[in-house]
Amino acid sequence: MRRFGFIISAVLVLFMASLPFAQEKKSPGSRLIENMKFSELTWDVPIIGKEVTRTVLDNGLILFFIEDRELPLISAHALIRTGSIYDTKEDQAVAGITGTVMRTGGTKSYSPDSLNAILEFIAGSIECGIGNESGSAGLSVMSKDIDLGLELFYEVLRYPVFDSSKIELEKSQIKEAIRRRNDRPGSIISREFAHLLYGDHPNGSIIEWDEVKPIYRDESVAYHKKYFYPNNIMIAFSGDFKTKDMIKKIKKVFGKWQRHEIEFPEIPEVEYAFKSGVYIIDKDITQANIRVGHLGIKRDNPDKWAITLMNYILGGGIFTSRLTSRVRSDEGLAYSVRSVFATGSRDYGAFMAYTQTKTATAKRALEIFFEEFENIKNSLPSEEELESARESYLNNFIFQFDSPGEIVNRLMSLEYNDYPENYYQTYLDNIRSITLEDIRRVAQKYLHPDSMTVMMVADTSSLESDLSEFGEVTYLELKEPIVE
Amino acid sequence: MKKIPLLIMSILIPLTAHAKKDDIRLDVKTHTFSNGLELLVVERHLSPTFSARVRFKVGSADEKPGITGTAHLLEHMLFKGTKNIGTNDYEAEVPIMEEIDRLAHELSDAINESRNPLYRGGTEKVDSLRTLMADLQKKQKQYVIKDELWETYLRHGGSGLNASTGNDGTQYYISLPSNKLELWTYLESDRLSNPILREFYSERDVVYEERRLRIDNSPSGKLYEQLNATAFTASSYCWPVVGWASDLETVLKEEVEGFFSQYYSPNNIVIAIVGDVKFDEVVKLIEKYFGHIPPSEKPVPSVTTMEPKQEGEKRVAVVYDAEPRMAIGWHMPAGGDVDQEVFDVISSLLSRGRTSRLYKSLVEEKQVVTSVRARSFFARFPDIFTIIAIPKAGYTINEVENAVYEEIEKLQIEGPSDWELQRVRNQLEADYVRGLRSNRGLAYMLSNIQAKVGDWRYLLILKEKTRAVTADDVKRILAEYFTKDNRTVAYLVKPDKETSGESAKINKVNKHQAVAK
Repeated sequence: MRRFGFIISAVLVLFMASLPFAQEKKSPGSRLIENMKFSELTWDVPIIGKEVTRTVLDNGLILFFIEDRELPLISAHALIRTGSIYDTKEDQAVAGITGTVMRTGGTKSYSPDSLNAILEFIAGSIECGIGNESGSAGLSVMSKDIDLGLELFYEVLRYPVFDSSKIELEKSQIKEAIRRRNDRPGSIISREFAHLLYGDHPNGSIIEWDEVKPIYRDESVAYHKKYFYPNNIMIAFSGDFKTKDMIKKIKKVFGKWQRHEIEFPEIPEVEYAFKSGVYIIDKDITQANIRVGHLGIKRDNPDKWAITLMNYILGGGIFTSRLTSRVRSDEGLAYSVRSVFATGSRDYGAFMAYTQTKTATAKRALEIFFEEFENIKNSLPSEEELESARESYLNNFIFQFDSPGEIVNRLMSLEYNDYPENYYQTYLDNIRSITLEDIRRVAQKYLHPDSMTVMMVADTSSLESDLSEFGEVTYLELKEPIVE
Repeated sequence: MKKIPLLIMSILIPLTAHAKKDDIRLDVKTHTFSNGLELLVVERHLSPTFSARVRFKVGSADEKPGITGTAHLLEHMLFKGTKNIGTNDYEAEVPIMEEIDRLAHELSDAINESRNPLYRGGTEKVDSLRTLMADLQKKQKQYVIKDELWETYLRHGGSGLNASTGNDGTQYYISLPSNKLELWTYLESDRLSNPILREFYSERDVVYEERRLRIDNSPSGKLYEQLNATAFTASSYCWPVVGWASDLETVLKEEVEGFFSQYYSPNNIVIAIVGDVKFDEVVKLIEKYFGHIPPSEKPVPSVTTMEPKQEGEKRVAVVYDAEPRMAIGWHMPAGGDVDQEVFDVISSLLSRGRTSRLYKSLVEEKQVVTSVRARSFFARFPDIFTIIAIPKAGYTINEVENAVYEEIEKLQIEGPSDWELQRVRNQLEADYVRGLRSNRGLAYMLSNIQAKVGDWRYLLILKEKTRAVTADDVKRILAEYFTKDNRTVAYLVKPDKETSGESAKINKVNKHQAVAK
């Protein structure tokens, strides 16, 4: 793999010298900063074979290692190819329950209580979870306890027994969460907005108690049996060890686990459609919670870099962005204003902009949102804006790799998500290459103000304004969850 | 309250990284500048980055009624620039800001007047003043370079840029590539020496929205606000960090400036920098940029009002449209007190992990709550030890409360087992080690403890003190502090739909139809 020198000062000198600033009047402070000399910072993007060691056991288990001898700690992070995207709507709750109870429900050799007691006594932890597109498991121990830690980690991954009482406990926790799901305006809007965009696809489906209720131990046992094999798992280790010794230890513990071919069910596709309109949910609160957006792109889309910078200018860069500048800074309408354009989703991710403002100014905030959507589509951003966005990504890049754990987990995730091997090596060039015209082009292609889903959770009795200019208005009823 | 004197200790225990974990070397280099500014540096060259944290020893506890929320509002304002940053013509801004301030006075007076129960006027005066102010703010905009400080930091690779305000302190933090140390030093010293609170009144509105978001429309925010407001009678911990709504409507720029000049001086600052820097260079740069800033002329005011002993149980019901949740608080001593760490041990025994007493009993066995969490605090002034619980459907607040008290009583009578105590000790040791892992975390730990007790080495003393806590200490503290008379209970109750809700509901339905047509 190509080595890559990363020179922050060179990047700055290049950009700042080449540009006549559109804004002639600058602050005294910025002139002083321009004259500062920042020493050259060279740094190599970490790669496999150098900072990180990658190896595959005979049974297919893929391992990544990075040594970090500073403190007597060892961490491991496992990714398992599984998730609720492989399940039908009725079975979607099984994945989550399985993920939790793998850890809480005990193993072949350790009861739930003894597993808890051992881990807590050595101040270690093992935690598991299964989400939409992956399962994960983490181990953290003091390095003196690594042998015991590995043994327990293996037990949890390989031999969970899913004690029935712990399945029931988890179900009752989920039941309570369903019952409480309308407590907070923020969680209402996240859930309902995703549901409008994605329907019953796992990205937006809402789990109901009648789907959770009939899940028993057998379902989790079967789920585990389907996906948990070494050839379906990657583990990244970081910390106080010698890689050679660590591989030996892992072979001894995980080596006996047999590979097994897995048949993956077909993944349901996201239906690429827009649910335009204004959707209002009534709740007795003093601040309207607003979210606006639509489906966006998949992670293999070559425009993702331009989209990333476009969104930074629009609302991703927080204070440096247009939405925040107008809604928050100019008009004092809201504390939190932001837009997000997902570029890392396997299937269609979403674009959304959100804020919360007092009910009386909800319409004003929406007006500004739509004006800015139009602005970024219709005219080129200023060079200054693009430079600011670009430099921010270039100079901040190093923080994606500022700890050994971060480095090894990122390189493992590249492989898990099928990104090209040279993803991080080309990252900076990809950012650098974006032009003003690119920003306008992707705004025109991927932002659709006419087809926005506008959602608002607000006290409708004090919502005076007519919102029909943003789309046809529909009132969504916030149903009492059924938990019997 | 008794505080133990700081021991003179030899801290730089020599070692290799692979010696016993107790011997981890924490090589903190310190320097106090002639203007009183305290600096702590840990050099660490794993990644060419550093984390910096400026901590001012002032928080909402230093406020007075009438200006609650000022410490936090000031934190917001210090992102608005200076004479040098955020402006293309400071001189031109001055007359506009003066005019805005004059109108703000009038507005504040008009609002206060309208709060008088005898007031019979309308809102015209308030409205027209607001419009005039908004116009002037627009006029000022031509000279303002929006959020230049923030933009400059991000452009130079700043990561995790933010600030936060608590009862006890205000902190400004960021991580940067290591070649940007001078940039950081300049920008931070500039905002200490030349702050301009531009766009003050729109930012005050932003903070009001923050209050709506975090407290008024958040079940847990509402609950804690009322817990503190009830538990504390005199202590300035009784008001929320964000401030009371009525103060946020009327607090003036000059009041915030006054607060700044009282508390924001180099002799009231701790700076911690951890990462790829050289101590000597940091000292040189800080001398260059902060060295000329004089210490405050008058000593920084101290908080003198102390909480009297609580004379009986207090209870508060909070009506809010959410499922029930509850919080219990018991008064506990300040950080540094001889017994403070016993409370840390008690909170671990009660709720840390799946073997903890409250988790086992309330979550696993009785299944009366979905979660329960005990917390102790290392605070500047006596605080409250809290337990927060989320009851499951079908269990009343009283039932959950009694289940909590039962466990506390059991622990008080039988004391923790040796195994439990050792578990807690092992975890606290490991916490310490894990706390050293990130530059950011270490900068936090160091600046926090240095600001609160005046010596970062108290971290190590605290570790020893915690290790020495015995079963008898736990029993003694539980008996002394966890009494009925010393506690406050706050809980959410749903609004009574039968009486208040129904008529409003009907109006809402009509409204829907009207709007939707």
